[in-house]
Amino acid sequence: MNYIAGVDIGNSTTEVCIAALENGRLHFLGSASKMTTGTKGTQANVAGILAALKEACEKLNMSAGDISLIRINEAAPVIGDTAMETITETIITESSMIGHNPSTPAGAGQAVGRTISLGHLKQGNSYTPYIVMADKSHSYEEVADTLNRYAQARNVTGMILQADEAVLVENRLERKIPIVDEVRYIDKIPEGKLAALEVAMAGSGVRMLSNPYGIATLLELDAQETKMVTPIAKSLIGKRSAVVIKTPHGNVREQILPAGEIYIEAEKDQTVNIDAGADAIMRALSKAGDIRDIHGQEQTNVGNMLARIKKGMSTVSDENQEEIRITDLLAVDTLAPVVISGALAGETCLEKAVGIAAMVKTRQLPMEKIADELRSQLKTKVKVAGVEAVMASLGAMTTPGTRLPLAILDLGGGSTDAAVMTSKGTVRMVHQAGAGELVTMLIQIELGLHSRNTAEQIKRYPLAKVESLFHMRLENGAIEFFPDAIEPKYFGSVVLLTGKDMIRIDEDIPMEKIVAVRREAKRKVFVTNAVRALQAVAPEQDLKNIPNVVLVGGSAEDFEIPEMLMEKFAEYRIVCGRGNIRRTEGPRNAVATGLVLSYLGDSHVDDE
Amino acid sequence: MNKPSVFVYICDARTDLLQEICAGIEEEGVPYEVREMPMQDVDALAYAAAEESVLGSGIGIAGETAAMQLRKIPKGQNIFKIVQPGREQCRALGANSARAVKRQKFKI
Repeated sequence: MNYIAGVDIGNSTTEVCIAALENGRLHFLGSASKMTTGTKGTQANVAGILAALKEACEKLNMSAGDISLIRINEAAPVIGDTAMETITETIITESSMIGHNPSTPAGAGQAVGRTISLGHLKQGNSYTPYIVMADKSHSYEEVADTLNRYAQARNVTGMILQADEAVLVENRLERKIPIVDEVRYIDKIPEGKLAALEVAMAGSGVRMLSNPYGIATLLELDAQETKMVTPIAKSLIGKRSAVVIKTPHGNVREQILPAGEIYIEAEKDQTVNIDAGADAIMRALSKAGDIRDIHGQEQTNVGNMLARIKKGMSTVSDENQEEIRITDLLAVDTLAPVVISGALAGETCLEKAVGIAAMVKTRQLPMEKIADELRSQLKTKVKVAGVEAVMASLGAMTTPGTRLPLAILDLGGGSTDAAVMTSKGTVRMVHQAGAGELVTMLIQIELGLHSRNTAEQIKRYPLAKVESLFHMRLENGAIEFFPDAIEPKYFGSVVLLTGKDMIRIDEDIPMEKIVAVRREAKRKVFVTNAVRALQAVAPEQDLKNIPNVVLVGGSAEDFEIPEMLMEKFAEYRIVCGRGNIRRTEGPRNAVATGLVLSYLGDSHVDDE
Repeated sequence: MNKPSVFVYICDARTDLLQEICAGIEEEGVPYEVREMPMQDVDALAYAAAEESVLGSGIGIAGETAAMQLRKIPKGQNIFKIVQPGREQCRALGANSARAVKRQKFKI
């Protein structure tokens, strides 16, 4: 019996399937999927291919040497990459604000006064209003005692603490004042400066200090100064407690970085400024027609960003930078929490940013070299066969309920690809920038996560909030009970449900916010891209000419992306759904399956 | 008469432990009640405190050992237990008994 294997090398995974050929008929036996080793299309891929073949063979009790023919795809020479650049930046050169969410500040209200340390209160006078600062070397009893002692002699209006003891101090005060605690860098606050302090009522955010005129009222600012504090007010929105300190030279500024222009070399050349936002960039791209290359203005953020992508690609693929061209972009508007330089409690400010995925075109990929390497290692015949999109269409056709003309949307890690196969067998295809990796990046940026891995997991798995040691509330509102009391580390946390275990999210972000950011990121990338890609390949550029769309690729396995696309395409009366390759594989393995199937149609003179 | 509060059951408790644990609860803004009890076993103290607290959250302190418990958790399976703890550990234990009531993440 002859065994034939199909091998598909993708941006992130390598997939294989194995079939037996008997009396001119193919029987599919099994498949496997492994991480792609190295950049797609390089000889480093061989390790991943061998690992995947080994896994598939082991399941079938055979060895990779038993395979008589391996067919690998002519991988499209396109590779996806992502980058992010903030457009605005808030810099506070002299420390002049605190805005954060300590879990337990005390005493709601506002206060204005001169800053003074607890130790210097004695040297103060009776007519100046003071805001007292105490570092953590003072115990709460000592702080409260001192303030009570000076209740008549000094006019203390508010207090800033380094330790987490605001409630403890306030409970012991004879005259209640608003207190902000957990201010890590309290020693950086200058003494003798006019400061305004606000603690919000439970359940709401500060009102005076998140309003430029509120700050102007409390600190008696003129119009010019009020303009200067606007970025401070902006960054205090939604905070439970805040302090604004007036420093002699208004030292906060919102700097607009030279964001730069994007130059699109195409049928119709286009220039677009990145400040104009994602929509304008995407409009310019669609006006441009066939794109030869895209680059950015030198010495600007976007210029550096695009140059970095090309440079990175030339390093991994071992080609000259001149030969690497960017043929597509997907730009997405986003807001990134950026740590404010000079802040006193690690505050962040939401800055406008643009996330960009680029499609990088290289020379023809050296697939023959990979084939040679496989031949010599396995001592078997290896053939580079067929165009990726055609193979994917062939594989997708094995999904029950499909017919020609058929469109496939390959939702991958690095790119979103579309192809339409007509009833005559002709195929039109397009590769577009922006897929799963851009979604991961957007999630990481918008939630301000430390680890990319956490963002990747948030993309993949549904959320739940552990409400007691015995139950959790799932993101859809359902409640699930645990058979035994759960470990205390999960209590009160937001967790990801992988199906096997739970992953705790360390960052303190409400579940609703994570869900909203995750869904929005997926929608911005995949819905935008799916429409764009199908429009490019649809007969007469009209989506209505496509009767059915089969979703394939890794991101088609996602638990909500296919539903989002289904909803979108329902508007065009298109049947759209997750593929089920060979009735068993789900949306995976389409190309590998197509490679094996196409064996029957090929002439086999050269195989003998 | 059984006011909603975190119960702290103690037996020969070291004063500073008791004080810091109570400060931890107070800072979180949850009421608490301290009672001297006859049993000397910290597991039993914590278990009884949690079972009898209307809020279902309790702490036991015996000598230099303290434990936090929640209602319906078997005796001995303390949520947290600290032996000869420092100041911060005591504050955290107190804060966690309050956070359990507030359904907030524990300080770990």
